[in-house]
Amino acid sequence: MATAVWAAARLLRGSAARCARPRFGPPAHRRFSSGATYPNIPLSSPLPGVPKPVFATVDGQEKFETKVSTLDNGLRVASQNKFGQFCTVGILINSGSRYEAKYLSGIAHFLEKLAFSSTARFESKDEILLTLEKHGGICDCQTSRDTTMYAVSADSKGLDTVVGLLADVVLHPCLTDEEIEMTRMAVQFELEDLNMRPDPEPLLTEMIHEAAFRENTVGLHRFCPAENIAKIDREVLHSYLKNYYTPDRMVLAGVGVEHEHLVECARKYLLGAQPAWGATGSVDVDRSVAQYTGGIIKVERDMSNVSLGPTPIPELTHIMVGLESCSFLEDDFIPFAVLNMMMGGGGSFSAGGPGKGMFSRLYLNVLNRHHWMYNATSYHHSYEDTGLLCIHASADPRQVREMVEIITKEFILMGRTVDLVELERAKTQLMSMLMMNLESRPVIFEDVGRQVLATHSRKLPHELCTLIRNVKPEDIKRVASKMLHGKPAVAALGDLTDLPTYEHIQTALASRDGRLPRTYRLFR
Amino acid sequence: MAAAAASRTLLPVARRQLWGFTRRLPVRGAGTQPLYFGGDRLRSTQAAPQVVLNVPETRVTCLENGLRVASENSGLSTCTVGLWIDAGSRYENERNNGTAHFLEHMAFKGTKKRSQLDLELEIENMGAHLNAYTSREQTVYYAKAFSKDLPRAVEILADIIQNSTLGEAEIERERGVILREMQEVETNLQEVVFDYLHATAYQNTALGRTILGPTENIKSINRKDLVDYITTHYKGPRIVLAAAGGVCHDELLELAKFHFGDSLCAHTGEIPALPPCKFTGSEIRVRDDKMPLAHLAIAVEAVGWAHPDTICLMVANTLIGNWDRSFGGGMNLSSKLAQLACHGSLCHSFQSFNTSYTDTGLWGLYMVCEEATVADMLHVVQQEWIRLCTNVTESEVARAKNLLKTNMLLQLDGSTPICEDIGRQMLCYNRRIPIPELEARIDAVNAEMVRDVCTKYIYGKSPAIAALGPIERLPDFNQICGNMRWIRD
Repeated sequence: MATAVWAAARLLRGSAARCARPRFGPPAHRRFSSGATYPNIPLSSPLPGVPKPVFATVDGQEKFETKVSTLDNGLRVASQNKFGQFCTVGILINSGSRYEAKYLSGIAHFLEKLAFSSTARFESKDEILLTLEKHGGICDCQTSRDTTMYAVSADSKGLDTVVGLLADVVLHPCLTDEEIEMTRMAVQFELEDLNMRPDPEPLLTEMIHEAAFRENTVGLHRFCPAENIAKIDREVLHSYLKNYYTPDRMVLAGVGVEHEHLVECARKYLLGAQPAWGATGSVDVDRSVAQYTGGIIKVERDMSNVSLGPTPIPELTHIMVGLESCSFLEDDFIPFAVLNMMMGGGGSFSAGGPGKGMFSRLYLNVLNRHHWMYNATSYHHSYEDTGLLCIHASADPRQVREMVEIITKEFILMGRTVDLVELERAKTQLMSMLMMNLESRPVIFEDVGRQVLATHSRKLPHELCTLIRNVKPEDIKRVASKMLHGKPAVAALGDLTDLPTYEHIQTALASRDGRLPRTYRLFR
Repeated sequence: MAAAAASRTLLPVARRQLWGFTRRLPVRGAGTQPLYFGGDRLRSTQAAPQVVLNVPETRVTCLENGLRVASENSGLSTCTVGLWIDAGSRYENERNNGTAHFLEHMAFKGTKKRSQLDLELEIENMGAHLNAYTSREQTVYYAKAFSKDLPRAVEILADIIQNSTLGEAEIERERGVILREMQEVETNLQEVVFDYLHATAYQNTALGRTILGPTENIKSINRKDLVDYITTHYKGPRIVLAAAGGVCHDELLELAKFHFGDSLCAHTGEIPALPPCKFTGSEIRVRDDKMPLAHLAIAVEAVGWAHPDTICLMVANTLIGNWDRSFGGGMNLSSKLAQLACHGSLCHSFQSFNTSYTDTGLWGLYMVCEEATVADMLHVVQQEWIRLCTNVTESEVARAKNLLKTNMLLQLDGSTPICEDIGRQMLCYNRRIPIPELEARIDAVNAEMVRDVCTKYIYGKSPAIAALGPIERLPDFNQICGNMRWIRD
């Protein structure tokens, strides 16, 4: 259903921040360059002889319509119109770490790094980039737990070339020894960076998935474990690709393109193509459904000196507590999304003005009341067969117990009365976040692609907004109570001396008030 | 990963889900990314007298009091609207350094009409965002909202910049917040290095000071400083009201007249002069052997925003490129420096930059290296720079020109980047440069010009250097200066 949620949001940095002040009248410039042919005209004055632009006008609202066709081999083609000269086109595949149960963990991570390397038609990555540059294009590959995306943004006029290139990149990669060796290094570097980064969020997300879905599907490692780096080779990759890179598991999605043209290109390049690994046909696809297990993953680590620079960062212990929510295919997905927005939160010190969710519960009830807490943020991860709603919190190691209790209490409160004003606010904010994210073409691309991959159709933004508008306080209460019946998943990182036991956290979440059981210790 | 396309990402980098996204927007402009200004469109044939674009026009109107209104309507259901003000930390002196930034903080602390709580509730309840940032030469306040809420967004912006209470109690409270922000900035080593770089390159001038100001100023800035800053700088002719997304220019114009028409008068008397900022080739070294990596920036003096050589320097900047070791990619990247760095494992990452101000600029490279490779990396960088001045090839330049256009065009995606582009260009050039013109300017660059322009600004020039971390092996300043010339080795 609403995979729009997948569309990742983009931070808009104030990159404009170093600017000049305008001078009215003739700008004071210095010597000009000696290049005789180069126009010595400052940028503040128009360059003579440049053609006069004829601008486009907007005739009302953009027509929102996503068209989907299926080719004879099962590959789906989806497109969406968009104003502008550029298009984003890509291939999305049902492939990712969740399908690696029978394989070496880390294959998807390798494939992500190997993307856009040499292929049958292109001798090197450089040749691919050169081809794209001619159409003002750039390329990227991203992989998540369940989806791998190969995408290109380029001038719409280059569509044919772009689709041909994508087909080659996905189906005919050379995977040379040299490229695999380079990838081993890049993966190794990424693992090092992951552990050095001051922001522990990616690591905690990894841990809580591992705890929540022990040794199955979305609980499998997204990053290649260090011990597998040397083991992954072309043979391993081919055996995986053979099963998972099949037309019925793929969507070719395009934003800012004509549907008929895209289908035509798809027929030309993706129909009847024999991939590099030989015969097609999913012989051995892992179709297992995610099994939520709950549990705890602890990583004891000395966080007293995580600072990379001269200024010390205070030592923090991080915890993440989560419960099973629901799949994005279920109707309850929307109430969960609203609930997540209502919880909100963020860092106790976060830049940014009003609009960051200052009246969300984790700000009002947690950060504004307990100034010793550094962070309290709610996250919702949703997949085709399961979901996870979790809260990340961090504080001084000596206050871990108190912090855990504050979070468990917030979970219990989710199932209580919902104030109408706060609900309306969360709904409006969810809609605005959705619409603001969908301003960006790559985000629309991801949304179209993921939705069509999961459901063969796309729920349009305004349909999602209607669903959001219809959420009632009872819905929130219902989904929260249902969620609270499950076992918790817990991830903890840092100095864990004062961490309550898993059983105590479980008891707290099953209690009426979310309190941890009292522990009496004679000697402290 | 998109190796050559390092400075921007096709797909959002952080794989965060929309629902679970904590909206944290940076307040302060970092001044570190390579700078692009832009347009949003396609190549044009230079011969044609007209060129048809698939983007809406940027409409500009000037009010009687000098305030400029500029907008681009793309018919979206959301929009970005903001005030771009020609005032930043460059207009401060040693005593009041930090005032512009302090003022930005006070903007959301309540007005005569609405208390801080009212303002926050109003914004949050309409699903909007309000943000602000201060750079060395600009102060920006902007809002993102549903298009239907445009009138309210403009009214709120007008209220916060004209009727801010600047209450004593709020000022006292904000000191602590800014000091905390300062700590936060100090953990971002790239920002620290860039502050050092400015401090040495523009020593004893306004551009050399930080945006936040020193601790003692943050503790002493008072209401009068803030009021003085507003009355001196927040004037009609120095402000641009820019908007993009679902905005109708005529409606925006009416709103501007209503909210700003009578109040923001022009300057009485002289417009405050832009303080001159002289570049000095020099260095700052902060050696700390306990740090795991060395962070360095090296730069030469480049040109101001509007200078004709800017475009050529941007092509040169693109030629040097960006790289991060997790890109992998190996030997075949479009940047020669990336190939060298990757092949010799010389650094963890590097990023070329071209930071412009009105009448000066910094063109250079930021790099993160291990202790043992600092000297080798710097040597390779300088060799590359000299190669730019002496024998850069036509094909490399052609490629860099293409990349530069792509970078500029693809960046303008969504209402906020477009609005930022409009606001910035209006302040820098007093117009928005049409894409065909920008492309014509880039097309005019060739290898000979790159060599000429680079020779003019790089060859034999004394650089500014800021280095932090385990930098014992960094060559001494004279040796680095020596390497700014042709050496056969």
